[in-house]
Amino acid sequence: MKPKGSIERQMARLAEALVVPSWVLILAVFALPILGALWLSFRNETLGAFAPPKFIGFENYTTTLADPRFWESIRTTIWLTVLGLLVQMPIGIGLAVILEKNLRGTQVFRTILIIPMLLTPVAVGLMWRFMFDTDLGVINWALAGLGLDGPNWLGARWPAIWAVVIVDSWQSIPFIMLIVLAGLAGLPKGPAEAATIDGANAFQVFFYITLPALGPVILVTLMIRIIDSLKMFDIIFIVTTKGGPGTATQTLGMLIYNTGFGFFQTSRAAALGILMVLMVLPVYWLWRRAAERA
Amino acid sequence: MKQATRRRIGHALSYAVLLGAAFVSLFPLFWTLSTSIKTRNDTFVLPPKFFNFEATWKNYIAIFDTRGFGQIYLNTVVITLASTVLCVLISTLAAYSLARSPRFRSRRPLEISMILVRAIPAIVIMVPLFTITSKLGVYDNHFALILMYAAVNVPFATWLMTSFVEQVPVTLEQSAAVDGAGRLQILWHVVLPLILPGMAATTIFVALLAWNEFLIPVMLAGNSAKTLPVFISGFISARNLDWGPMAAASSLAILPIAILTVLAQRWLISGLSSGAIKG
Repeated sequence: MKPKGSIERQMARLAEALVVPSWVLILAVFALPILGALWLSFRNETLGAFAPPKFIGFENYTTTLADPRFWESIRTTIWLTVLGLLVQMPIGIGLAVILEKNLRGTQVFRTILIIPMLLTPVAVGLMWRFMFDTDLGVINWALAGLGLDGPNWLGARWPAIWAVVIVDSWQSIPFIMLIVLAGLAGLPKGPAEAATIDGANAFQVFFYITLPALGPVILVTLMIRIIDSLKMFDIIFIVTTKGGPGTATQTLGMLIYNTGFGFFQTSRAAALGILMVLMVLPVYWLWRRAAERA
Repeated sequence: MKQATRRRIGHALSYAVLLGAAFVSLFPLFWTLSTSIKTRNDTFVLPPKFFNFEATWKNYIAIFDTRGFGQIYLNTVVITLASTVLCVLISTLAAYSLARSPRFRSRRPLEISMILVRAIPAIVIMVPLFTITSKLGVYDNHFALILMYAAVNVPFATWLMTSFVEQVPVTLEQSAAVDGAGRLQILWHVVLPLILPGMAATTIFVALLAWNEFLIPVMLAGNSAKTLPVFISGFISARNLDWGPMAAASSLAILPIAILTVLAQRWLISGLSSGAIKG
């Protein structure tokens, strides 16, 4: 028999070979462009400029940091993220808890409830867009039926922000629900049953036993949702026409798009991208910390 | 007695919530499908017509008559399939390494890179990618798009596949090794058959993500490699929004997914639950 060490070394060599294709793709499609963005961000490249581009040091960064539109986009991004989480987390967790009871028909409901997260975001955005129509949309018609005066959803800042939050929530709640459902399946049943026998009601069991036990899972979900909210692009592109009305729903991601592909200020957009990476990194770090504990 | 009543009320409330959630989940889908087969007059009318309208295929005919639509649908199918196969193959190899070899030199860097790929918003790399693809002459190129689609989904697919490989008992491989099988033989004859269901689940997911991908093609595809989501997004710049054809185009993107969801729900849910936590 061969000594164990040689098999392990053999295995390590094979493992190293098998990950080569992954490395090639990641380096070509991510590492190289990030370095490219860094390089571009120190130049003054714009599409269709007459003067040859040159290095301008930190000018793109100083201009960006002095630009009120940059700070507005950060505020918008934060608002969308915070409001989205406040809507999505309670609903997602609540639905998971109900599905966990395994009432008759749960299978069917679970299938129906995950459909929204799988649908093409661009098509979803379009669907909601005509439901949000002020005069002929079905949402304002239903609100009118309840005696409420529906807002001009896509015509003013806060209604438009809420419209984006609603569409984003519609697509992301199933994701939260599924993760929490998986987390619930992994919890021991004992403590909850003991508490019920001792006379605790369903709400007490949930808030004092289930929720604390789910803590780590919820934390990971929260982090993934924050990261995905910061990335949100397709829905805003469609629902509010790339961040409108005006710049009312222009997130940082949308600002990068509009700068780079609307105004063709390549270098300015690259600098914004680098700043965005710097902002995402702390969230990434927290996420890993949370994931290691879950 | 009192407890039984309370439980019955609890169940009734649960069903009420589930029914409400199901309605909210399905209504936009229903509304899109029904708008797609309405005439213009039935679309722009209050109160809205939910069932009492005459069905028409005119909107679909209008979409199929759009110049280049056949090419667009074909592009979407080809890019989705090719990038999915590529992504699942590459990810399965990486997953086998991550699941079976606790220590190889690039393990830690690879894990970190994959997480960063997942965390960093793709819009950041799009500006330089646009410059790079233009300089290399591969802007609007199917092959370049396939590579990029595959790359963005590699981390997710790798995590999913790693959890499936980990479910295969190592002892099976060890006994095959004792019988004198080589490493690649083991991978092909012992491991692969056992992870096929996992690969199928992963394939469905990656195909979904690729089918829905918008950011990459909207920036890096022109007219020849245009995909369905980009085509759909084109409607928002039209001055008078024509809801019928818009809904028909959306339905053409969404229907295959809705059907797939119902058919493959078991795999989807098990895959989502095991892969979701990480990615």
